[in-house]
Formats: sequence, structure tokens, C-alpha cells
Amino acid sequence: MTMKLPWLILALTTATTWAATNETAEVLPPCCRPIAAQTNYTDKSLFQLESIWTSDAGRQVKLGVFRGRPQVVAMFFASCQFTCPLTVSDMKRIEAALPENLRTNTDFLLVSFDSRRDTPAALKAYRADRGLSPKNWTLLHGEADDVRELAALLGVIYRPDANGNFAHSNVITVLNAEGEIIYQQTGLNLPTDDIVAKLKSPAMP
Amino acid sequence: MSGRRHKISLAALSLFVTAAVWAAPPDMACVYNGVYTPLFRSLTDPTNVPVKNFRLDVTPATNAKFLEFVRANPRWQRSQVKRIFADENYLKHWAGDLDPGTNALPDQPVVWVSWFAAKAYAQWQGKRLPTVAEWEAAAAASPAFADGTKDVAFQRDIFRWYSTAAPAVLPGVGSGPANFWGIHDLHGLVWEWVADFNTATVTGDARGDTGLDRQLFCGAGAVGAKDVENFPAFMRYGFRSSLKAAYTVHNLGFRCAKDL
Repeated sequence: MTMKLPWLILALTTATTWAATNETAEVLPPCCRPIAAQTNYTDKSLFQLESIWTSDAGRQVKLGVFRGRPQVVAMFFASCQFTCPLTVSDMKRIEAALPENLRTNTDFLLVSFDSRRDTPAALKAYRADRGLSPKNWTLLHGEADDVRELAALLGVIYRPDANGNFAHSNVITVLNAEGEIIYQQTGLNLPTDDIVAKLKSPAMP
Repeated sequence: MSGRRHKISLAALSLFVTAAVWAAPPDMACVYNGVYTPLFRSLTDPTNVPVKNFRLDVTPATNAKFLEFVRANPRWQRSQVKRIFADENYLKHWAGDLDPGTNALPDQPVVWVSWFAAKAYAQWQGKRLPTVAEWEAAAAASPAFADGTKDVAFQRDIFRWYSTAAPAVLPGVGSGPANFWGIHDLHGLVWEWVADFNTATVTGDARGDTGLDRQLFCGAGAVGAKDVENFPAFMRYGFRSSLKAAYTVHNLGFRCAKDL
């Protein structure tokens, strides 16, 4: 019995030390992780963001998972009555205007401003309601801070109001397969020609 | 066993240090019962927004502190930073990656920094950037009053700063008078980043477009100016809405905030 005690202490100490080390690695905020931990993204790639998002399928992702395919991106919130439905319609028109081989190779990404109400389940309901194909449409929920950062990168201006809704600019962004912004369209109900032409251009991988 | 005792004394020491730091944060001041009066709001928004009590750095971040930050976080050094997070002028007045040099004295506010860099610095310090509401609530205080909006001398001093070009050589932080809360330099030294700078519903070119265009802004039709006489607030609003997160500017710095 007396022989066992030191072993127990040693085991406990080791476990504590291990847990502590592990925790330190966990809590280091994204700003401050070593460069070596980053994958080799280009300087202007949005895919290097370290924020973690939840898809409407309940899956946790970093934006880097979208690498390899061009993305048509907009920010929205599901309970938006005015412009967001139009933005989503614009994106659907872009999808429909793409030739078959491009359409299956292009992703459509909707990111919610509304961290509180747009839970993965709410986004799932929105997908069903709007008939967005699970093959190439992704809806993302994120923490308020991460939403603010992504909006800053996309140049989207927004402001929550007292009712929990959002005033926001309407921007559709095209990212190339490396996550770099190659085109942005501000406004609603605009012709899809420019974006479709961009997605067709040979510079798009 | 002696290893364990060593651990305990270390734990006690760190507890002591933590307690000491916690008990007397010399670099931050508390702001109580703040009220923010948004310049633009939707019709359903309240005129005055209460601001939760919070702590704010008493001075903007300095070159000396920012040097510590980039030393500890190489990815924020001038030659290492990713272009998406800071434009090509990032820290352009520094002599080198780890050398502020003679154009960036240790106690001067750090400028030529992007929103991302400011945010990362705050995170590194265990803090965050203040919101517009928090910044404006703290900045409303004159040296004598928590609400300095009726303090005529104070308002005149602010106007004077806004109508004067930035000096070629910035003074050190803390050189201006302390306000009611003991906070320095909210007016009169540099502009400052806030966490939600991208809330301003005005497009980049305010001359060509007031931004109140339904095609561009959801809900913008319901937004109108509240206090059209608050000219300095308009200037800050206009300045913030002209910024993009990767921009760096010769007279734009930042300070950090923290929940109380």
C-alpha cells in the first residue's frame, strides 16, 4: 500500500501536466498560432481563416474545406423579409445560367449574420424551403465575432437592429478555387452575365 | 515528492501574480452606466442605447507594446503578414520587422495597423476591441463630467482637433488630459479602430452615394440621422465607413477593451 502512493502521485502529476500542455495548445487563439500550423494558402486566400463554422448538416468546418472549387458567396439571414430572398434568387439564377460542367463544379455558399436565430436546424429548414441542392449549396452558421471578420473580408457592411434583424449591404462574391476574391457584385436583381462570364473564364481553375 | 512541492509553490506564485494583476490593472479604466446615442438608427431602434459597464485601456497601444506583440507572434511582423489581413503600408514607418526605429518612438501610439492586426493584438492580450457604442460612450466624457456633451470647453477642444491636420510627429500616449474615467487620448491624438467599424451604412464614396439606396442596403430606408449637430460624431462615422479591414492609415491606431 505504501509503495503504491508515490506511483499514484506520479501518475496524477503526469496526467495533470499532460492535460495542461494539451489545454495550452487548445486555447491559443487563432491570431497567435505559429505560422507553421497554417497550410500553404495564397496571401489573398479567404481559405486561410481559422474560424470554425457549422453547416446546416451540423458539420464543423473551416473555410479551407472549400478549396479546389470556385465559390459563389453571399451573407444573409433566414428571417430576412426584404433583400435576402432576392440575393438567394440571384444566386439560383447564376447557377441555372452556368453550363452543366461548370454548374456541378461550382459551390454556392450562404453565410448567416444571425448567430442567435440561424442555428444549423433553422438553416436546414431554410434550405428545404428554398430548394437548395445539397450537392453544391452550403449554409453556414458562425459565432458573431467570426461573422464580423468574414464580413470585413468580403466588404459586407451590416448592423443588427433592436428587433434582432440586420441592415446589410447586398454583395455576391466569387472566389476562385484558391479562395481569392475575383469578382464582386453589389446590388440586387442584376444581370448574371458578368458573374457567369467570370466563372467561365479560363483563369478559373 | 519535492517535484510536487515545487509545483504547489509555483501554483501559489502564479495565483499571487494573477491576483496582483487582477487587483490593480494599471492600464485600464472602468466606464460605468454608459449611454450611446447612435447617429443613424432604424425607426424601431431606441434613441439611447445603454452600454454595459466595461474596461478600456487608458491609452492607445504603443509602438513598444506592439513590438512585444510581433516579437511573440511572427505572423504579424511586417514581412510575414498576409496581404489579406493588412495592406502593403502595414507598419511602413518602422525601420524593420523588429525595429520600430526613429520614426516610431516607443511611447507613440502604433499606427499603420489594420483592423485584423489590432484585433489579433487585443486577443493576444486577453482583451478585445471596443465596440462603437463602448468607444463613443467612453469618449463622451469630458475631464469633469461622465457626459461631456454639454461641456462647452470640451466640445470646443474636440472641434479644434478635428479641424487641425495631424502633426508630423505624433506626441506620446497619455500626453492629453485624462477624462472623467481616467482615460486619455480618445480625442486629439489618433483615430482608433473599433470592433464593429463595418456597421456604418454608408458606401465608400459618400459624395456620389448617400448609401440610403434600397438596392444596396437591406433596411436602409428606415435609417436616418439622429443628431445632425454632432459634427465630430459625423466625422468619426464618415471615417469609419470609409475603412476596410485591411487598411492601414498614418493616424489610425487602436486601444483594447475588456468585459468588467
